[in-house]
Amino acid sequence: MAGMSACGAAGRSVRVAVVGPMTGEQAKQGKDMADGARLAVAEWNAKGGVLGRPVELLMGDDAQDPKQANSLANKMWTRGVVLVVGHYNSSCTIPASEIYNLRHMVMITPASTNPKVTDRGYKTLFRICGRDDQQGMVGARYVVRAMPNAKVAVLHDKTTYGQGLADEFLKNYEQMSSRKVVYYGAIVKEDQDYSAVLTSLKALDPDLLYFGGLYPQAGLLVRQMRQLGLKATLMAGDGTYDPEFIRIAGANNAEGSLLTFMPDQEKIPGAQAVISNYRKRFGEVGPYSLYSYEAMNIGLAALSKAGALDGLKAAAVIHASSFDTVFGPIRFDAKGDVLESPYVVWRVESGRLVQIPRQ
Amino acid sequence: MTGPGAQLLQQVINGLAVGAVYALIALGYTMVYGIIELINFAHGEIYMMGAYAGIIILSALLALGAPLGWALIMAFLASMLLTGLYGVATERLAYRPLRGASRLAPLISALGMSIFFQQYVLLSQGARDKIFPVELSSGGFAAAGVKVSYIQAAILLVATILMAGLTAFVQRTRMGRAMRASAQDPCMASLSGVPVNSVIAMTFFIGSALAAVAGFMIAMYYGKVNYLVGYIAGLKAFVAAVLGGIGNIPGAMVGGLVLGVVESLAAGYIGGEYKDVVAFGILIAVLIARPEGLMGTRLPEKV
Amino acid sequence: MQVHPFILLPSYFILGLLKAHSLLSNRSEGTKTMSMMGRLAAFAKDNRFAAPASALFFGLLALPFMGLARASILALAVLIFRLAAIFGRVPQGLRLPHGLGRAKTFFANLPPAATSSAPLLLVALLAGMAFILDPYTLDVATTACIYALLALGLNIVVGMAGLLVLGFAAFYGVGAYAYAILNTHYGLGFWTCLPIGGGLAALFGLLLGLPTLRLRGDYLAIVTLGFGEITRITLNNWDSLTNGPNGILGVAPPSLFGFSFDHPRHYFLLALALVSISVFVLNRLDKSRIGRAWVAMREDETAAEAMGVPTLRLKLLAFSLAAFWGGVAGVFFAGKQLFVSPESFNFLESVMVLCMVVLGGMGSVPGAVLGAVLLSFLPEVLRGVEEYRLLAFGLAMVLMMRYRPSGIWPEAHRVLESREAPRG
Repeated sequence: MAGMSACGAAGRSVRVAVVGPMTGEQAKQGKDMADGARLAVAEWNAKGGVLGRPVELLMGDDAQDPKQANSLANKMWTRGVVLVVGHYNSSCTIPASEIYNLRHMVMITPASTNPKVTDRGYKTLFRICGRDDQQGMVGARYVVRAMPNAKVAVLHDKTTYGQGLADEFLKNYEQMSSRKVVYYGAIVKEDQDYSAVLTSLKALDPDLLYFGGLYPQAGLLVRQMRQLGLKATLMAGDGTYDPEFIRIAGANNAEGSLLTFMPDQEKIPGAQAVISNYRKRFGEVGPYSLYSYEAMNIGLAALSKAGALDGLKAAAVIHASSFDTVFGPIRFDAKGDVLESPYVVWRVESGRLVQIPRQ
Repeated sequence: MTGPGAQLLQQVINGLAVGAVYALIALGYTMVYGIIELINFAHGEIYMMGAYAGIIILSALLALGAPLGWALIMAFLASMLLTGLYGVATERLAYRPLRGASRLAPLISALGMSIFFQQYVLLSQGARDKIFPVELSSGGFAAAGVKVSYIQAAILLVATILMAGLTAFVQRTRMGRAMRASAQDPCMASLSGVPVNSVIAMTFFIGSALAAVAGFMIAMYYGKVNYLVGYIAGLKAFVAAVLGGIGNIPGAMVGGLVLGVVESLAAGYIGGEYKDVVAFGILIAVLIARPEGLMGTRLPEKV
Repeated sequence: MQVHPFILLPSYFILGLLKAHSLLSNRSEGTKTMSMMGRLAAFAKDNRFAAPASALFFGLLALPFMGLARASILALAVLIFRLAAIFGRVPQGLRLPHGLGRAKTFFANLPPAATSSAPLLLVALLAGMAFILDPYTLDVATTACIYALLALGLNIVVGMAGLLVLGFAAFYGVGAYAYAILNTHYGLGFWTCLPIGGGLAALFGLLLGLPTLRLRGDYLAIVTLGFGEITRITLNNWDSLTNGPNGILGVAPPSLFGFSFDHPRHYFLLALALVSISVFVLNRLDKSRIGRAWVAMREDETAAEAMGVPTLRLKLLAFSLAAFWGGVAGVFFAGKQLFVSPESFNFLESVMVLCMVVLGGMGSVPGAVLGAVLLSFLPEVLRGVEEYRLLAFGLAMVLMMRYRPSGIWPEAHRVLESREAPRG
């Protein structure tokens, strides 16, 4: 039985894990995360491991299902894992982190942006990407500055991520502009036809539609907006950062769409050596590869500095230290979020995603 | 700009386009149910596979350098044929051996086939969306704030032609008569020399080919398809078939169109997230209040 | 080229069906005694083109989806298997694995005192295992117990009463949310919520049962499916009560006299106790008047009614009892996961539980438990090929219906029936 051998073997190596959607629709994102973590672990092992012991990386698949994420967390605990990088979806990270907190395991998510991940005040949870409230704020600020008189509508896909992000945008936008949005509503993620909601929207003639959701739905939305003759610009969050978005929408339809995401990795001078290393081993660098890489680095550095395989001690180290990463120095606040909000605005230009200079 | 009247009309038009697709899928359910009294759960998956087959064949033809118009027509026909054969194979392998078994057995077998097909496509084609290889024009006819896109028009046109064709086939041809006879009483039909097995196979073929048409057109309309779309679309089409009176061919068409419009209005005026509740609510209400559907006639249960 | 399990599984499936078909259709008295040459001659006469034709047929069907290489392998496999089938022996349905069959005879032949104490011994043995097994295995075993509770519940309505319910996850969800909401909002404990959650689910069952009683089997299946979907969508959208897609966090683990059950071992022991009690109760129910009336109703509703069996009341009872077990499983699930969210109660979950009941043997109490345990541990065994799990489930459902509709551990009534009248 696979589970039975777990007890004895934990003594030799330092067990760490990377967890995320390794199968299903998001398997690519899961692989990006896994590869980033692999690269970090390989580098540490080349330097002699952690605490004088080799690092063993376990892989876990949550299949983007909260229930599986939860039992995966339990499984990692029983395998003696003290450091977990993951998950991808906030809807998985939140329930699983209940277990990480209970079992004093350090968890660093490279991709889950929902504020609730760190807002519960758990000591061992960290996030190296941004938060949806920062993301919503950056989006709202852009809209207020670039399109001050725009009529804005908000739509979400009724998921933890989508609804959370849309609500943050809405809150920030209404505060900054002192205007009301003209529409707030939801679509069904499993559905393919959004024309009914878009027809109601068309009567309101919005200039901008903010969408909280993922790229397949965002692509269909833009496509159907244009089919109905709705000219509004679409703005979305990091879940839409994927070239498939443009392919599904059709390049003509997607042109000019906006989204918030982390800065362009190609433009970070410090990251180029890691990027070329990564390319050699795994191929194209995904949006979350480097975040996963640095999350693993920070976790291992903390374990090494704490001097023991103790999640609580390592967490205290992370809270107290500053870490040099390819993104520059990173510090965490009391909740476990990074101090600097990393988000910038991107736009679809001639069928490609291009970062707009910070304003 | 656009008044409430134009908005209502636009919602109805959108609803009709989706409803026409429901109707095409619903025909498969209703024809099969009419003859062997089986809810073919795998039918939604057949529709999904039709969409995949269309995209795959079209991409292959375009890669071979076929001109777009020809490639579209060939892919359309080839996906009908292929999907039709999938329907026949399903019947042969999973349903025919269970004739005469308990009522639950074929239902569970159908459910199993549905899961099998879904996973078959997932594992062979991947979980990410399959994207329609050509970007079709998003233009259309517009007047008074109402727009009918070319693809919507094409869906309505093709669906109407096929439904008229099917009605003529069932009413006028020898095979159609054999189908009606088998639906009324398979045993008697068989005694009078109707090759019931071939008739059933034909029914599966036609139903599946129509689902493939629906799948192909939906892939064109939305520009993509994934392995999960069969489940929801299949359920909706089943609701349409029940709404119109299961086993009743004109009923399936009416049921599909009605359901499409009702859903569109519900999503437009109540909220997108409750669209499916409305659809299932209708299903339950119809089954409880008028199980024979809008256009069906009540028959005593066979003992 | 590596032979991928993806090719193997469907191949086995199609080949299995083909083999059985070709054998069954040739199953006359003559074929069994016919010599090898005779068979060849008969084959050459009747089936000259059948084998290559079906190979070509399946190859073509698979071609667009699987690509040329895999489709050719599939076609070749079909061809070989069809040719081989001509020389094969005639299988009469699927037999039990040898060991299991022997085990069953062994138990059946034990003296009455031993049979009555055997279940107790088994429970004691499993409870003892809780102190030996590692936490992860115990965690999987606990999940298996939750599924066993669900399967036992669904078995009441599908297996015993013969009513196909496809939205069983709704009752599971009602129980889970009942505990999550009552616990986080009103501070009610696990033990208080266990009967409340079960009762609430039973009430839902009753509400669903009342208007649908007169529906025929397949319509009933669809209505329950719609009901399951509506429940899930409602859980996802009623934000003020259920916290929408985020689900409810911070559910308290069960505790007793200040002792908190938060280790996998505690959960497993608790789950084992729940399953044991359920098996005991349901076994008694199965052998009671009600159980027999359900069987009568399942086998022929009209006849049962004519004999004075109150079918309407019995259906309602089946619905609400099944829902009760679903609700109890839900409460326990919420207490174990410490959170609930709508995705956990989707259609696939209903199908999984149905699969367990079908695999174990519809109507059989031990079968339901066996099915749940097998399917829960399957992903652990199938490491590396877990992606093919659902494909295999789908196939298993089709194949079971065709070759062994009574399941791995058929219920006693069915065993008797098949002894009295061998199927022909």
